[in-house]
Amino acid sequence: MTEIRHDMRNSGPEKPVSSDTPAATAAEGITRVLEALRPDLVRFAHWLARDRGIAEDIVQETMLRAWRSRESLKDTASARAWLLTIVRREHARLYERKRLELVHLDDEIEHHALATGDDSDLHTLRTAILKLPMEYREPLIMQVLGGFSTEEIARELSLSPTAVLTRLFRARNKLRAIYGLTPASEVATAGEAP
Amino acid sequence: MNCQHATLLIGADPYVSSPELTEHLQSCTACAEFHREMLALEANIRRALEVAPPAASTTKAKVADIRDAQRAAAGTRKRLRPVAWRGWAVAASVVAVVLASLWLVRPSETLARDLVAHVEGEPGSWGGTRAVDLGALQALLHQAGIADSNLTSQEVTYAQTCLFRGHFVPHMVVHTAGGPITVIVLPDEHVKGRETFSEGRYAGVIVPAQQGSLAVLSRGSASMDAANIVAQQTWFTVGRPAQP
Repeated sequence: MTEIRHDMRNSGPEKPVSSDTPAATAAEGITRVLEALRPDLVRFAHWLARDRGIAEDIVQETMLRAWRSRESLKDTASARAWLLTIVRREHARLYERKRLELVHLDDEIEHHALATGDDSDLHTLRTAILKLPMEYREPLIMQVLGGFSTEEIARELSLSPTAVLTRLFRARNKLRAIYGLTPASEVATAGEAP
Repeated sequence: MNCQHATLLIGADPYVSSPELTEHLQSCTACAEFHREMLALEANIRRALEVAPPAASTTKAKVADIRDAQRAAAGTRKRLRPVAWRGWAVAASVVAVVLASLWLVRPSETLARDLVAHVEGEPGSWGGTRAVDLGALQALLHQAGIADSNLTSQEVTYAQTCLFRGHFVPHMVVHTAGGPITVIVLPDEHVKGRETFSEGRYAGVIVPAQQGSLAVLSRGSASMDAANIVAQQTWFTVGRPAQP
């Protein structure tokens, strides 16, 4: 974590503090939180960005932003959701700017990124999740990995809760085919075009 | 609760629970079966997502792949799979070398095109009126590997770290008397000499720097003189910043 500390030192005009000041305690606290949650953040970012390198860049930026606004984190119990939200926004900024989704990485996904184990069903499912369109993958990742509620996802994505439910439904419906299950019939819902 | 509503709720979150849903599942075998299937699927989805991402590999190569794919996006949307026939592979290699050579012969032209494409993608960057926070600007530059620069002494109204040609680079807009001028620091792009370019409503100049190069662009009625002045006056050094 040397690199993180280095960046943190240069993230603003910090005044030197002794280790027993409240500021130092807060700094140590957020540092511990960031270190502890980093694997979770990278995994979350990876499933969003579909690329480990980009995910690490996103997490690095997330940590910088979190460090800068560490004063706003009053309760470390909520740190995970707070950091995952920053990760999502960082990814969204990158995505909107560069339209990474336009890139077809199917071959890489199939041949490199997912060569992780013997379980072919799991492998196929991971591939299918990564191939989900962003509008379905993002809420699914937020719900399953991030632990966000439908209302929280709706707020974060500026959607209605009904639209979020529909997207989550469609995401899982697409994955059903992997197991040879018949997709459920589409439900007409408000707030989300078919 | 009807079957459609139950299906939506279960499909959106198989672990969802409510008295109404429970009651419906007790009386509807089709939805109960759907619920069982979705719970089984959900367990696998969670297993799939819990698997740690693959070990970090070649970040820059991956980003470069994305860059290349973006360039190719206007043409074929899918990359070709490797060709098994060796002769074709050799031929393809020769063609690739020739193309790469041609590519290298005119790097600044493509660089200029990429720069214009990039700034076109951020039309909001030109409209800033308030100077960005100095600390944030310094942090952004440091994060992009810029140890020092006199950009911090100019009136910068927009600053972002952008993914450009596989690298995260500082993208700024400087407020000048001649209008807003975009400055992009390119530590990883090298040009032999000063290159001016004009494309559409954008004009600019790329100048070699001590390490890499600096791109300065003007738009519309903004004066190219202002861009030249900014290009002449701006400097940066690459490396880790001094320890505080």
